[in-house]
Amino acid sequence: MNVPVEFYLVLSTLLFFIGVYGFIVRKNLIGILMSIELILNAVNINFVVFNRFLFPEKLEGYMYGLFVIIVAAAETAVAIAIIINVYRNMKNIDVDSIKELKN
Amino acid sequence: MLELDKFIEWIHSSLLYLIGLDWVVSLIEYVLIGVAFLSLYAVLALILIYVERKICAFFQCRLGPTRVGPWGLFQSIADMVKILLKEIIRIDKTDQLIFKVAPFIVIIGSFCTFGALQFGRGLHGVDFNVGLFYMLAISSLGVVGILLAGWASNNKYTLIGAMRSGAQLVSYELSAGISLLTMVIISGSLNLTDIIEGQANAWYIFQAPLPALIAFVIYLIAGHAETNRGPFDLPEAESELTAGYHTEYSGIQFGFFYLAEYLNMFIIAAIAATVFLGGWQPFHINADWAASFNGIMDCIPTWAWFFGKVFALIFLSLWVRWTFPRLRIDQLLKLEWKILMPISLVNLLLMAVWVLIF
Amino acid sequence: MEFLTAYLTANNIIFFILAAIILVFGFLSVTTTKILRAATYLFFVLFAIAGLYLLLTYEFIAAVQLSVYAGGIVVLLVFAILLVKNLGEETEKVSCQKKLVSAIAAISGVVISLVTLFGFGFQNNESADELTANVNMETIGHTLMGVEKYQYLLPFEAASVFLLACIIGSVVVATNLKKEDKK
Repeated sequence: MNVPVEFYLVLSTLLFFIGVYGFIVRKNLIGILMSIELILNAVNINFVVFNRFLFPEKLEGYMYGLFVIIVAAAETAVAIAIIINVYRNMKNIDVDSIKELKN
Repeated sequence: MLELDKFIEWIHSSLLYLIGLDWVVSLIEYVLIGVAFLSLYAVLALILIYVERKICAFFQCRLGPTRVGPWGLFQSIADMVKILLKEIIRIDKTDQLIFKVAPFIVIIGSFCTFGALQFGRGLHGVDFNVGLFYMLAISSLGVVGILLAGWASNNKYTLIGAMRSGAQLVSYELSAGISLLTMVIISGSLNLTDIIEGQANAWYIFQAPLPALIAFVIYLIAGHAETNRGPFDLPEAESELTAGYHTEYSGIQFGFFYLAEYLNMFIIAAIAATVFLGGWQPFHINADWAASFNGIMDCIPTWAWFFGKVFALIFLSLWVRWTFPRLRIDQLLKLEWKILMPISLVNLLLMAVWVLIF
Repeated sequence: MEFLTAYLTANNIIFFILAAIILVFGFLSVTTTKILRAATYLFFVLFAIAGLYLLLTYEFIAAVQLSVYAGGIVVLLVFAILLVKNLGEETEKVSCQKKLVSAIAAISGVVISLVTLFGFGFQNNESADELTANVNMETIGHTLMGVEKYQYLLPFEAASVFLLACIIGSVVVATNLKKEDKK
């Protein structure tokens, strides 16, 4: 007895748009990064679920899920290095107050 | 004989006979397993605390606890009652939610590993395909709890302790992981049952003596550092940081950190015993003349072998703890990144070559 | 009653518990004003998603999720929050208008996606259970290390080079400014 595939897809849709909401609302860079993690996880659930229910004999979605996790880890490491650098320079990590490049 | 797997089968069949409904029986069994693991966790913590106090006392030419019960045997039970009755102090101007959640994260991180450990033949909760990797992954969750605890206590000592602990745990996980990976090359599987079955004739430490011994020593050092004890107890250095990240905790919340610390020691020793020393496999000599010797070794129940090995490794860890002076933070990180990491990477290569040749 | 008997299987109950944890804590993590609390809630979400992968019987990806996301990325995020001064205590105020606009955007997105999703009409693959039962480490290893169709050596190598580039890049980004500070 399996959980129907639609249940997972509804869950990942909701999680994705929760992430989108956070991405727009958040002002500081770390908050935005967290929302991106939520979005990536929602996408990842979709990959794994499609692999599990549609093509279980091949591991396409599975591998995609793994590579998404790898890329997310690398992205977070670089992003946090940049955020800490921005903080050192501006003493602030609000996206609204970072406008050095404008002038 | 003294094996427990027959006993477990007997419980299962008699429950089936008494109740008859499949799902009710599985539900009851899940609850029973949970209760069994919880009580094992608590009892092991009590034993470990008593053992630690006694051994520490002997190393320092003292007697240790003697008053409560014969040889002070009931001392840790009395301590447990005391810690349960203590008031939980509420701190002003902190984030109460994070302050309360942090001990739970730490204890969940160490408790979830128990599900995959194999205590004897047929004595384990879940048999994962990736059991070893699962245990590494889930025992690394404690760092989050420690960092949150340090920040939520709103105290500079706890924050310094938490940052030190975070840096230490994250970096020592690497060489611990790589040295376990070295053994995965020889076992060819991440499944704990396969790993243990592969050591029926000779433990892995005897199957590839040189690389396995190097990996064993590196794993013991790194694992010892991961438990925040001994020469690596910078996160809670009493003389500098009062008590590190759990300074502000009291009552059962402090008890959670305390339990997790002792049980992490047990878990590290158990993983080392499983991967290097054959888990619950008895000591066998793989030769014709040793058949009777092997027969005698088989008479000792498997869970006794497991706990014997684990407590021998715990004794080693206590010995190290009470013998060496504390490292400085730069020495600690230098030891990991400049000595243990390169050695374990080279050792990984050495093990691959060894498996190819022999 | 029929609905209950059809949907109250053990798998479904576990799924609903995990889904509730994911959605509630996911929502809390984007709406809370304290950034460290947001990180804690994110931790719970990632933990529950690992549980979801276990429910799908994909153990390896669940363990990867636990060790990389919950044990790695959350620790990095918490470290960054602790390093950035006073961020943990700061409460950020968001204007009602911005909240409203983003809520409308998110909800319309959800509606569009759900309409498409239910209009598609998925059919459950009944044979999926037996086929996934033997996804073990050997299969995954051969899939990662082969060069034939449905085998992924090239992405694997690309990922390793990419990770190396990221390590070097973040070290450069983190150290470059120190020299400038000294000057």
